Amino acid sequence: MGLKDDLERYREVGEEKRQDLSEFIQYGDMGQSLPDEVKVPIKIVDLPEFAYDQRDMGGVGQGDGDTPDVGQPVGEPQPQPGEEGDEEGEPGEEAGEHEYYEMDPEEFAQELDEELGLNLDPKGKKVVEEKEGDFTDITRSGPASTLDFERLFKQGLKRKLAMDFDEEYLKEALRVDGWGPSTVFDWAREQHVPVSRAWIETAYEEIPAAERDRWASIEEMEAEVDRESTATRIRREGVDQVPFRRDDERYRYPEIIEEREKNVVVVNIRDVSGSMREQKRELVERTFTPLDWYLTGKYDNAEFVYIAHDADAWEVERDEFFGIRSGGGTRISSAYELAAELLEERYPWNEWNRYVFAAGDSENSSNDTEERVIPMMEEIPANLHAYVETQPSGNAINATHAEEVEEHFGGDSNAAVAYVSSPEDVVDAIYEILSTEQEEVTA
Amino acid sequence: MNPDRIEQQRIAEGLEEPVEEAANLAEKFGLDPFPVSYWIIDYDDMNELIAYGGFQTRYPHWRWGMQYDRQQKQGQFMGGKAFEIVNNDNPAHAFLQESNDLADQKAVITHVEAHSDFFKNNEWFGLFANNPDAAAMLERHAETIQEYMEDPDIDREAVEAWIDHVLCLEDNIDQHRAFVPAEARGDGEDVEAEMVDEKLDELDLSDEVRDQVFDQEWLDAQEGDEEVRFPAEPETDVLAFLRNHGKAYDEDAEKAVEMTEWQRDVLEILRKEAYYFAPQKMTKVMNEGWAAYWESKMMTDEAFAADDEFLSYADHMAAVLGSPGLNPYKLGLQLWNYVENTTNRREVVEKLLRVEGVTWRNFEDTVDLDHVRDLLEPEPWLVDVVGHLDELDPDDSRVDAAALERAHDGEIDVESYPWKVLTYEGLCERHYSLVKPAFRGFLKRISQSELERIARYLFDTDRYDSVAAAVADIDRAAGWDRMREIRESHNDVTFLDEFLTQEFVDDNDYFTYEYTHTTRDYRVTSADYRDVKKKLMLRFTNFGKPTVAVEDGNYENRNELLLAHQYNGVILDIQQARQTLERVFQLWGRPVNLKTIVKEVDEHDVEVARRRDREPEPEEVGKLLRYDGEEFSIEDLPWDAVEGIAATDIDYDTKPDEWLA
Repeated sequence: MGLKDDLERYREVGEEKRQDLSEFIQYGDMGQSLPDEVKVPIKIVDLPEFAYDQRDMGGVGQGDGDTPDVGQPVGEPQPQPGEEGDEEGEPGEEAGEHEYYEMDPEEFAQELDEELGLNLDPKGKKVVEEKEGDFTDITRSGPASTLDFERLFKQGLKRKLAMDFDEEYLKEALRVDGWGPSTVFDWAREQHVPVSRAWIETAYEEIPAAERDRWASIEEMEAEVDRESTATRIRREGVDQVPFRRDDERYRYPEIIEEREKNVVVVNIRDVSGSMREQKRELVERTFTPLDWYLTGKYDNAEFVYIAHDADAWEVERDEFFGIRSGGGTRISSAYELAAELLEERYPWNEWNRYVFAAGDSENSSNDTEERVIPMMEEIPANLHAYVETQPSGNAINATHAEEVEEHFGGDSNAAVAYVSSPEDVVDAIYEILSTEQEEVTA
Repeated sequence: MNPDRIEQQRIAEGLEEPVEEAANLAEKFGLDPFPVSYWIIDYDDMNELIAYGGFQTRYPHWRWGMQYDRQQKQGQFMGGKAFEIVNNDNPAHAFLQESNDLADQKAVITHVEAHSDFFKNNEWFGLFANNPDAAAMLERHAETIQEYMEDPDIDREAVEAWIDHVLCLEDNIDQHRAFVPAEARGDGEDVEAEMVDEKLDELDLSDEVRDQVFDQEWLDAQEGDEEVRFPAEPETDVLAFLRNHGKAYDEDAEKAVEMTEWQRDVLEILRKEAYYFAPQKMTKVMNEGWAAYWESKMMTDEAFAADDEFLSYADHMAAVLGSPGLNPYKLGLQLWNYVENTTNRREVVEKLLRVEGVTWRNFEDTVDLDHVRDLLEPEPWLVDVVGHLDELDPDDSRVDAAALERAHDGEIDVESYPWKVLTYEGLCERHYSLVKPAFRGFLKRISQSELERIARYLFDTDRYDSVAAAVADIDRAAGWDRMREIRESHNDVTFLDEFLTQEFVDDNDYFTYEYTHTTRDYRVTSADYRDVKKKLMLRFTNFGKPTVAVEDGNYENRNELLLAHQYNGVILDIQQARQTLERVFQLWGRPVNLKTIVKEVDEHDVEVARRRDREPEPEEVGKLLRYDGEEFSIEDLPWDAVEGIAATDIDYDTKPDEWLA
């Protein structure tokens, strides 16, 4: 008993032992937040109860300084007291219901990456500025103050180490009976001792004749005399002289860094024609919103273009985008035409990462998909094209847009198709879409 | 002692004086709280307490874990900070968060004293118990349920699921009546008979009369003039009915079986807890407003917050009152202020209407209310007690003579606690609402119709010969006295019903909104107080939930349960009703039915209405929802089958008439 136990039980709600509760787990309406403030719904298990229909109930609001006029929209209902949340709320508990906690999009993207095992690596596109970095690049000439002395010294030292050898050891070799400078030189080369014939000859001359047969053989000498390594010797004697050479001089200069800003433009296209009823629209919102958050979180700078279309397409603001409804027919290519135009004009491909997401119920006017949409999806350069089919009640007969697109592009391209028929499908759809992009990046 | 404890000890010592003086001041103000025990706890403990509804030990359940998780995430991601928690008990227990600064601690303490007064004096709390031994009760419940969970013969998941089933119905109790164990509740018939019996006893008739007129035959006739019904009257305490007559459903045997002892026991425990918490839910607006009102009196007006603490306190208040949406703290505080002001204004006007030559018709021309307000200003020595200490008259009824003497002897720190040398009457004048800068215009805003109303109930006696004489006779305690009466007898519904006026709605910019089919969003519909009141009543009546009662425990003579939704014009959330019904089945063991009325709007009508920019008129249709353990069905009922549950005179729709198609 106790908190730990109750937390454990809470985590298990909806899991194996308490499957019966899974239908009551709520994730709120994600569309409530804007791309720059992600409200992530927390797992709220709401047991059912006899309750009023929220819409039929209406409510009371309070103006801020004045009363709004009758007929004015009030947005989503304000949290009302006496509802959920603080059921047993002691007086003093914070009012209102909080089914969300706020995250910034970056955090959200990170969580989603973890959750779905994605790791989309955004590409930098537009060069924002060249700025001086650290003095890490080097050149062979320059002002004395930028001389890389450390490098000069190291190079000199390396040189010294390369040229250095155990002089005493070599002199012992000259004391082997029957060995002359020529034999010793050949032997030294075999041993990789960097010594010159001249040095050997001079050394030989300096050795008194009586000592020239100290060792009966080279084997005896090797067995009797310890060879000292260069490192030991330097440690013992110190570096009295490091040979600096002009060749080794290097001057440092600052590195030029090209800051590539990671820009992204997301084109959200939605079919607003008559067949797109409430439920379908909600599904679009539920799928697009997290995608927007995700990309906002992944890129430095995210911009959004919203295109609504029936038989024609027009650009709208975000707050209208999910609500619009028109009566007309459907011609999906109209939206792609507009998208192509807007992208070309405002978001050049060499500067922007582009994502083009379209959603609808797959209904399209005849041949439009094959003859116009697919070619345009191929033509419009983008990191990713996606089509999300929202069809709450399974497939309608004439609604074949998604299938045609899927068939054409197959599995290995930068076009994804996802099907969403209920809120539960959303996460899979997001995965489907984003993992397509990932393949593209790593390919 | 670990360092945390030492820190808490240090804070506790610093708070001893504020705690003591807050209680003293509350008493001076006329409040009568339960004694309060304060506990200093850290952030994690605070989150935990909030999650567990203010008590340390509750029965094992996932929802406490959920609430803790949420509380913690709120703190983590939203910087939410819990300020205070107090539970209804005698003594009350209040918890102060270690990390709060002193100003916040003081605010919490003053707030808590007022809650505790409310717990003790509000009659709705008395319905459960006048002296709740809440912590001990909840702990006993926790132990019992835990024992069941640990019993090797009982499946833990089964107990947990059972708790869930019952919780779905935790608001389906009869919160307007005192708590009695389910067994004692009966099913209506006996209660009725007993009541007639009781009434007869009260009449104190002679046995002869009683035997002749009200004989057994007559009594029986009173009961069963129609078919025998079970329950006799619709039973709103659905949990009690299920406890007494429900069965459990045995999945393996595929049939209803008697509830086991633990099942009945758990059901009754949860039902009892629902009754315990009901008064808090029924008085949220009043109780929060009450606490905010007295907190502000103590903190601001009596300078309980030192000068340097005041800003931090003001921030805290602004945050609490400024949270968006309809805010019960704010609504409550505004209503209490309004009650105080209207009561005081009424008292002033009653006195003025008795001045020679003043009538409600000529009131505006004959009485200079600005002048009256000046006359109402408290005596300077009441405003600045310290500066006038030597002038205070021990014989004045506004001065606490004994305290004054001690103040002169230096035993009372008048500098910090000037109120100590004043009586209740003195404090009433010192804090008189109508002269406060925030309410300066209030007196003058009195309407002609209100003047007339007040005049109508005045006896034409005791005339004053001047305005000054009338003002001198004004009872400045009228506002506070009335407020205390109201806090005793009202709940949120009656409180709103009685005190929400057009003046209040206008002053505070309240409005109603509805979902409109034409625009597919919510629109402002009205700022008329009757509409605002209706919507608020809907929110607060019956916990803001529809009333669902047991209508028949032997429906169609098949032992099925029939619940009836007492339709008031607002339809049920059908999806949830279905899900709830599936849970009810688990507690009844046999098929369950729910009678309700829905509004149907034809898509075509919506289209038509939209084109005309009008709202479609929905059609009300009776429905019967039925769940038999496997299948769910919903069928139309003829209108006469649902006529009995249909709304008659209430209409919660606030859409302007001209919107309707």
